[in-house]
Amino acid sequence: MNHLMNRFLRLRRGPWENLATIVIALGVLMLLQPLSLTLYTYSFATMLLGTFMFVIVSKFPE
Amino acid sequence: MTMVTTEEEAQVRVADHASRTTSPSVTRRVRGLSDRAIAWAFIAPTILLLLAINIFPLIWTIYLSFTNYQANRPNRPITHVGTKWYQEILNSPDVWAAMQATAHFVFWTILLQTLIGFGLAYLIDRKFRGHAFWTTIILIPMMLSPAVVGNFWKFLYQPQIGLFNYIVSFFTGIPPSSFEMLGSVSLSPWSIIIVDTWMWTPYVMLICLAGLRSIPDYIYEAAEVDRASPWRQFWSITLPMALPFIMLAVLFRRIENFKMFDMVNLLTGGGPGSTTEVASITLKREAFEKWRTGYSSAFAIILFVAVFGLANIYVKALNRVKQR
Amino acid sequence: MSQVLTTAHSVVAPSPLSKRIAGTIVILYAVISMIPLAWILMTGFKTPPDSIAYPPKLVFDPSLEGYCNLITTRTRQTQDYIQSLGAPKTTCDEITRKRDMVIAGPSNYLPRFWNSLIIAFGSTFFAVSLGVLSAYAFSRFKIPLADDLLFFILSTRMMPPIAVAIPIYLMYRELGLSDTKLGMILLYTAVNVSLAVWLLKGFIDEIPKEYEEAAMIDGYTRLHAFFKVVLPQAATGIAATAIFCLIFAWNEYAFAVLLTSGEAQTAPPFIPTIIGEGGMDWPAVGAGTTLFLIPLLVFTVLLRKHLLRGITFGAVRK
Repeated sequence: MNHLMNRFLRLRRGPWENLATIVIALGVLMLLQPLSLTLYTYSFATMLLGTFMFVIVSKFPE
Repeated sequence: MTMVTTEEEAQVRVADHASRTTSPSVTRRVRGLSDRAIAWAFIAPTILLLLAINIFPLIWTIYLSFTNYQANRPNRPITHVGTKWYQEILNSPDVWAAMQATAHFVFWTILLQTLIGFGLAYLIDRKFRGHAFWTTIILIPMMLSPAVVGNFWKFLYQPQIGLFNYIVSFFTGIPPSSFEMLGSVSLSPWSIIIVDTWMWTPYVMLICLAGLRSIPDYIYEAAEVDRASPWRQFWSITLPMALPFIMLAVLFRRIENFKMFDMVNLLTGGGPGSTTEVASITLKREAFEKWRTGYSSAFAIILFVAVFGLANIYVKALNRVKQR
Repeated sequence: MSQVLTTAHSVVAPSPLSKRIAGTIVILYAVISMIPLAWILMTGFKTPPDSIAYPPKLVFDPSLEGYCNLITTRTRQTQDYIQSLGAPKTTCDEITRKRDMVIAGPSNYLPRFWNSLIIAFGSTFFAVSLGVLSAYAFSRFKIPLADDLLFFILSTRMMPPIAVAIPIYLMYRELGLSDTKLGMILLYTAVNVSLAVWLLKGFIDEIPKEYEEAAMIDGYTRLHAFFKVVLPQAATGIAATAIFCLIFAWNEYAFAVLLTSGEAQTAPPFIPTIIGEGGMDWPAVGAGTTLFLIPLLVFTVLLRKHLLRGITFGAVRK
């Protein structure tokens, strides 16, 4: 756990980019799922967050 | 080119970079335009065109999505409505239903295309006699115009006279006029899935084939030495090594089918009712039939963010494949 | 390399039996997937009654009626009037009169086809010209934020066409570009240029930099070297890219149906509007579809070696 935290805190591109990818994928999944209208409502915000994150963290060093 | 000289200051850094990539002896001999001038003169037209035809409209759409503008009433004064349209779309059960129609379409087309496409690629990779010829034949459907394809499948799906119904009834004994692929609520979602699968399986197949061919022979040879069974070789060598390519194909089909418009518009037009009304069809109805420009701009932005996010992931997958 | 190890059972060299099974399944799939296409091709040569016959007719007397109906408009006339016209001048005249009709004039198909050609070739020319310049710059010079620019260029192609169509519609209305060929050429150029840049960058990356450097040491300027050395070397790549752009512009429907209605309408939105008396005139649709698809079949064969590159934006080369 500690090790994982360190990887994110060092602001390296790899782990952050993976996290952003997961957030985007989650947002798209929320947009398309048939189970909950609430999840659908918040899908746009999630996708937007993930996309912004992706654009920003892709500037981090490798 | 005048643009380049006015921005001289900002581009000194570029010149440094540019000259570093070619050897100094060459740079010294260059006459005429400098490399950095050429670099910017070569790129500028493309960027300007894209700014004019893509980015400017995008910004305009964002602006419109906060207004109640209607394109068929250009003279009405524009009022700003804040995030009203976004809230309306994201709380609307109808739009949610359209998203689920899209999801159903995307899920099944990708599943079928990946299974059939990978299977075909695996078989073609056996390199039987004439495999190159038959591969080319298989590729033909994906080169065709989706609109024209949608239109002629409409003919094949005709209840009494259509070839599709005839073939189905020939094999199952169901009378060919007893079911309507395009007219029935339960079958129409499958009618578009069948056509899309017919059309785009070759796409997945081609990329999977590249993935299979990128696996070096010596890995299989080593596995033979270790007496790994063909079954094991498939699960521990073939599949994992072809996976980046499969992911690439899946992601691209995912993006393309998420914004699917042409084929569905011609085949079912979203009907019957709204059973095949995928997101792009809803958007078209709102924008160009009901003329709710502000509302549809907000909808367009939501779709755009989804596609843009996925495109980021797609390019990441592209780079991963490129390294191979 | 290590041929010693390859045995008859090796996956590297599949056994004859597994080859035969694989071949049979693949050929079966290929044949089945060609049925819809073959059927629409055949329908183009049927008469309207044959095209809607039940059971579907596999054997029929070929007729040019579909092609005649495709390129003409007809009006129904009385027998007396038709007889007063004298001998039919063309094959189409003859076929039409058998149905108690006379040709009233040409249909819109050929003008639409012509529009498709102009718009496809025009936009391809511009997209490839812009693309080859940018691709060269991206390939040879260090450009700040090159990756971001390249991603920006690619992402423009991924946008959903309907989402882009709303502001383009408004913009073209303001500029007087709606339903003009110039407007469509500009739009398709913008969509295609992204593919052109990515594909051509891949092709130009493969040309050794030493070629130009040698030319420049011989006294060429860089521009000279670009035109005299790089362009000829990239000829195959440029041709393949051009064909991909042509295919896109030729097939495009969403923008065409929303932004054009007459003057600049291309064939894809037109073909579905072909209607005969009492329902769709399927032979005419079949004929129109066949004529429209023939160039694509030719392109597929020409491109088969470069297809993979084209559909992965140049990332997968082999």
